[in-house]
Amino acid sequence: MREENRGPWYLLTGLVLGVAAGLVFAWVISPVRYVDTAPTSLRDDFKSQYRALIAVAYLYSGDLQRARVRLNTLGQANPAGELALQAQVALAEGRPESEVQALTLLSAALSGQAAQIDLTGTPQANQTPQPSPNLTPTALVVQATTAVVEAANATSTSGATRVRGTPTFTPTPLPSRTPTLTPGADFVLQDQKLVCDLTSGEALIQVEVLDAARQPVPGIEIIVRWDGGEDHFFTGLHPQISLGYADFAMTPGVTYQVQLASGGQTVPDLVVTECEGDPGRYWGNWRLEFVQP
Amino acid sequence: MSRWTKFLIAVILGAAGALFYGWVVNPVEYVDTAPDSLRFDYKTDYVLMVAEAYQVENSLGLAARRLALLGSDPPLETVTQAVNTATQIGYDLADLALMRSLAEALQTWNPNQEAPAP
Repeated sequence: MREENRGPWYLLTGLVLGVAAGLVFAWVISPVRYVDTAPTSLRDDFKSQYRALIAVAYLYSGDLQRARVRLNTLGQANPAGELALQAQVALAEGRPESEVQALTLLSAALSGQAAQIDLTGTPQANQTPQPSPNLTPTALVVQATTAVVEAANATSTSGATRVRGTPTFTPTPLPSRTPTLTPGADFVLQDQKLVCDLTSGEALIQVEVLDAARQPVPGIEIIVRWDGGEDHFFTGLHPQISLGYADFAMTPGVTYQVQLASGGQTVPDLVVTECEGDPGRYWGNWRLEFVQP
Repeated sequence: MSRWTKFLIAVILGAAGALFYGWVVNPVEYVDTAPDSLRFDYKTDYVLMVAEAYQVENSLGLAARRLALLGSDPPLETVTQAVNTATQIGYDLADLALMRSLAEALQTWNPNQEAPAP
């Protein structure tokens, strides 16, 4: 009689104990270990580092297709936009200039307005590619041997590690190296004028850098100096305006000098200047146009 | 059927249900992982990227810090493993040469002489 009064509660108790045991096994005794993952699963900060590394590697190889394949492994919908955004963040955080320039160049190249580079990292735009005779086409990793594929599968199913949902083996093709270019002539100041534009909201030094074919050139480093200070900025961070565009906000009362980091002419004595218009007086922008002869 | 048998069956059903939930209904998603969990071919390509970047930046310290993301092995060992894998997979000779060049540079690298990172 007494056992009958207990009812079916012992079954529920067993069920709960079973669930608890399953979770303890899954979370404590043999927790999940991440192995054989793809770059798309990386944490955001690691993705940023990975993306920067892709960009710097692109500076060396100039192989846009290879960079594109690598970026695709990160699973980003808009790699060019991500690169441009990361370049701005890197610039703001004071990251190395080579990293900012690499991110900018690769972003511009992916945007279709290719900023082609030579092996010294100097950006050149719209030049005729010169094939490099000593570079051989890179073999595709897709040619991976069966043994390697089997090794990958063996690793992922090994009893030493518990893996569920292991990604299937999809070898990453590495495309061949693209031709490199030779550097061109220095940029020269073509035009300097005060632009009265109410919409900018602040006094800007607006720089536009164009190549010999008058195409915008991204990734150009610009140095702005003033009494007791100096700053650097790059073209290509505002692709919605132009890939060859860069700007710098001026402070009233300060006199600035502007020069491209690659050298050439210095533009002196840039100060905040007033414009007069319908709503009254407002700050104008200094627009500087550098062109490759 | 005894009560103990029924009880054990309930335990097994509970465990099976938990595993079904964990593996089928709500399986593990690979998110927020670290580079050391990357599959071997991605790791190899990562090392190649480090070797390419080294040619641009010429900084062994930076290369070593990047390689450290792949695990706790010494940088030289990481690159050596990657060279072996790349050879097996059939990487281009130029890429292999880049990685070997990085390995050679790392043989003489002394982390204690490295300037602090910015």
